[in-house]
Amino acid sequence: MSAELRNQQADEGAEEREEELFRRYRETHDVALRNEIVEKYLYIAAVLAKKFVGRGVDYDDLYQVASLALIKGVDRFDERKGLRFSTFITPTITGEIKNYFRDRSRLVHLPRKVSELRVGIKRASEEFFAKNGRKPTAKELAQALGVSEEEILRCSDAGGVVSLDTPVEHEGEEGMSLHEVLPAENDIFEKVEDRDALESALRTLTPQERDLIRYRFVRELSQMETAKRMGVSQMNVSRMERRVLQKLRETMKRSMVEG
Amino acid sequence: MKEYLCLRVPLRREMMTTVRLATGGVCSAAAMSYDGGEDCKVCVTESLLLLMRRGYSAASVCFSAPEEGGGVRVCVTGSEGSCGQAASDEDEIALALLNALAEDVTMDRDGGALKAIAFAFGQQA
Repeated sequence: MSAELRNQQADEGAEEREEELFRRYRETHDVALRNEIVEKYLYIAAVLAKKFVGRGVDYDDLYQVASLALIKGVDRFDERKGLRFSTFITPTITGEIKNYFRDRSRLVHLPRKVSELRVGIKRASEEFFAKNGRKPTAKELAQALGVSEEEILRCSDAGGVVSLDTPVEHEGEEGMSLHEVLPAENDIFEKVEDRDALESALRTLTPQERDLIRYRFVRELSQMETAKRMGVSQMNVSRMERRVLQKLRETMKRSMVEG
Repeated sequence: MKEYLCLRVPLRREMMTTVRLATGGVCSAAAMSYDGGEDCKVCVTESLLLLMRRGYSAASVCFSAPEEGGGVRVCVTGSEGSCGQAASDEDEIALALLNALAEDVTMDRDGGALKAIAFAFGQQA
């Protein structure tokens, strides 16, 4: 028997087992069976999640989205239509991942990621040089920083020196220089990002801590007036304020680093 | 067809970064969106891996900008080496992924053996 024929027979056998598994699940809706199917095909979620790494969303998040899409897909799959499950589920998972990117696009801070990576590259290069007496390759930097080689190369490309007088086209208007179109220091997008980060950080506070923020920084009351409204001493307000501000700073810093 | 850019690459995993960076550059020059460019990179990589798994040792990646409709058309053709490997589960996922991300995906086969994969991005009808 030729190898090709053996492969073909093995494929047919696998297809039949797959059909049988889905037929039983369709008829019984047995959760244990569904779990068995999900476990069997979870590798597809892992494979596909890996394909979308490097766009500002962590692998773990992508894997979670892909796994959920897989679970939903198992319920929707109809083996009687003659399609292999992998062929059916791949566009379903891909679609869910792309929807996730679309929904999260406001929160994916690519420019900030690049600037952080550039700082990391500089630090890692210096450390490497101090240790090895030569400059690192892109591959060595990628290993040191736990990112792909492509990200390192793309980042060095993004960091090229450009003259502020470089002529650019802005909103259809030609002949403008780069410094004329560069956003102001407090760019509107930065503001939106900062507000998002602050809103997320505020959610980590207790109701009492949120009251303090409202009295002190929204209504702009004094510490004494705040203390009266909260039924505590002015000293307590002062201590709590210091602690809350520190907490907010740390949460915001963390959310910006994690993007 | 307006403009061409062709790369001839040995089919080794370490060459993928080079091809992906070139693909990103082409998509950027074609004024494609960031996501469109990233999707195109995935499809080019998948096509090369498909050919690699089929036993090819080199491939050419040709990008062209159609005269009408905009976007980019890509053709990845296997060369050198045999094409005797049977399709695997991984290939099935790769093909489904190509069809999910790209437009107008076509496979060129020579007597049943996969020879080239072509697809488009960002074309308007």
